[in-house]
Amino acid sequence: MVTKTEETQLNRLENQVDNGGGGAWEYLCMVRKLKVRRSVKVLKHGLLILNDSKKRSSLGPEEWTLYEQVAVAAMDCQSLEVAKDCANALQKKFPESKRVGRLEAMLLEAKGSWGEAEKAYSSLLEDNPFDQVVHKRRVALAKAQGNLTGAIDLLNKYLETFMADHDAWRELAEIYISLQMYKQAAFCYEELILSQPTVPLYHLAYADVLYTLGGIENLLTAKKYYSSTIDLTGGKNTRALFGICLCTSAIAQLSKGRNKEDKDSPDLQSLATAALEKEYKQRASDKLSVFTSGFKSLKVSS
Amino acid sequence: MAEDLVLDTAIRDWVLIPLTVVMILIGILRYFVSKLMRSQQNPDAKVVREGQVVIRARNLRAGANFIPSKSFRARRAHFSNEENGLLHVPKGQGQNPQAQMFSDPNMAMDMMKKNLSMIIPQTLTFAWVNFFFSGFVAAKIPFPLTQRFRSMLQNGIDLSTVDVSYVSSRSWYFLNLFGLRGLFSLILGEENAMDDTQRMMQMSGFGMDPTKNLSAEKDGLDIIQHEWALPKFEQRAEAALKKLIS
Repeated sequence: MVTKTEETQLNRLENQVDNGGGGAWEYLCMVRKLKVRRSVKVLKHGLLILNDSKKRSSLGPEEWTLYEQVAVAAMDCQSLEVAKDCANALQKKFPESKRVGRLEAMLLEAKGSWGEAEKAYSSLLEDNPFDQVVHKRRVALAKAQGNLTGAIDLLNKYLETFMADHDAWRELAEIYISLQMYKQAAFCYEELILSQPTVPLYHLAYADVLYTLGGIENLLTAKKYYSSTIDLTGGKNTRALFGICLCTSAIAQLSKGRNKEDKDSPDLQSLATAALEKEYKQRASDKLSVFTSGFKSLKVSS
Repeated sequence: MAEDLVLDTAIRDWVLIPLTVVMILIGILRYFVSKLMRSQQNPDAKVVREGQVVIRARNLRAGANFIPSKSFRARRAHFSNEENGLLHVPKGQGQNPQAQMFSDPNMAMDMMKKNLSMIIPQTLTFAWVNFFFSGFVAAKIPFPLTQRFRSMLQNGIDLSTVDVSYVSSRSWYFLNLFGLRGLFSLILGEENAMDDTQRMMQMSGFGMDPTKNLSAEKDGLDIIQHEWALPKFEQRAEAALKKLIS
């Protein structure tokens, strides 16, 4: 996770570098440390340093880290020639290195020769079965080929060992959702909520999944998670506000015939509607009429 | 003992400075030797997995109240059931580290290498200091100290009348041995500085039994009371929204 202060610092540095203010190396270090994806910028500024032999040699052994960083960024930007040059330079320096082997496998992947890349990754995994990056690359490879079930299998196998890796859980949840396997996705989101209980996005996604699953029990739970999202974001999350309204109306519809044990007051819905109305007035007053008419139909059904 | 001892400048030139220089050189040499001898070890699959299981179980324990009780119960059963739960350790399988060490010669070898690179130079330098420099008063620190420091600063001189602020050569050796870490981290780079105190800590941490961790987590999970926190959130959300609207 990138904190806000780090992000502003990064943006400031990026601005400075873009306007020719120097500090390119510091910027690249920061990008690496925070693991953010700014490949275009990294490629541009990294290459400037690499092409300048004086600057390059002043880095000392860090030079090779920069080569790797630029190579990955170049693959992301599809400048395969640059990536290849970087990989070759590294290969010359570290002929036996597994890390360079990984880079070359990634190069194969970037070129789109899936079969060869897969082979390279498998042989890397044989040498070191605990290389998390290679595992993840293989998942990405399967996903890139459109083989979503294969990606799920690989991810599950990965999570069997590295079950505390929440990024992998998140990826798995998203794949499950795209395959409409909501029950499995719900499990993944529960796992994410467990590992980071204060991230509202996970609460929101979990609520979405529960709402999609339907059924009175799931809807009630979904409503609770929408409310927790509202609490965690201070009511700033529009999607959660809409979720509350939709949940309440759906619950009302489902429990119409049954005895009215509506223990939670309908307050929450009216409050959410009011908050939404206020937001629409502030941000997009021309859409307000659409919003109110849309909500009337919801209210009628409830 | 009123008048000060006058230290010969030759002592500074031939004892204090050589001792320090030698200690620094040995530290650097040892770093390179241990770098050569370090074998790249692959972590054991079981150990990695157990570590991850423990982290996940800890997360479950900490965040239990944030998931519905049905999900919590399912997870708890998955973690701690008696047959094949993740945290369940079959009886007799929890081998003690000693046995583990004998069963895995690599491990013993590794430890020996670590020990050798630590002990051999230490004994050699200690013998060297003892042989050449025993009994010197090598330096004086510029402030007075209490009697308690005598054993620390005047190792090798058994005179109770000498003022405590004088440092004997053997004590100077010990001070260097433990105090040069900062200098090494300057010379060799931050993470490369491995001093002996750190190593000793690693050694003592080695004997830990991972299965104990697992069963402790299991007990923790077993006694936890699940109380879903989410119903409270509806009221809190109401409050937040009220604040937003007003």
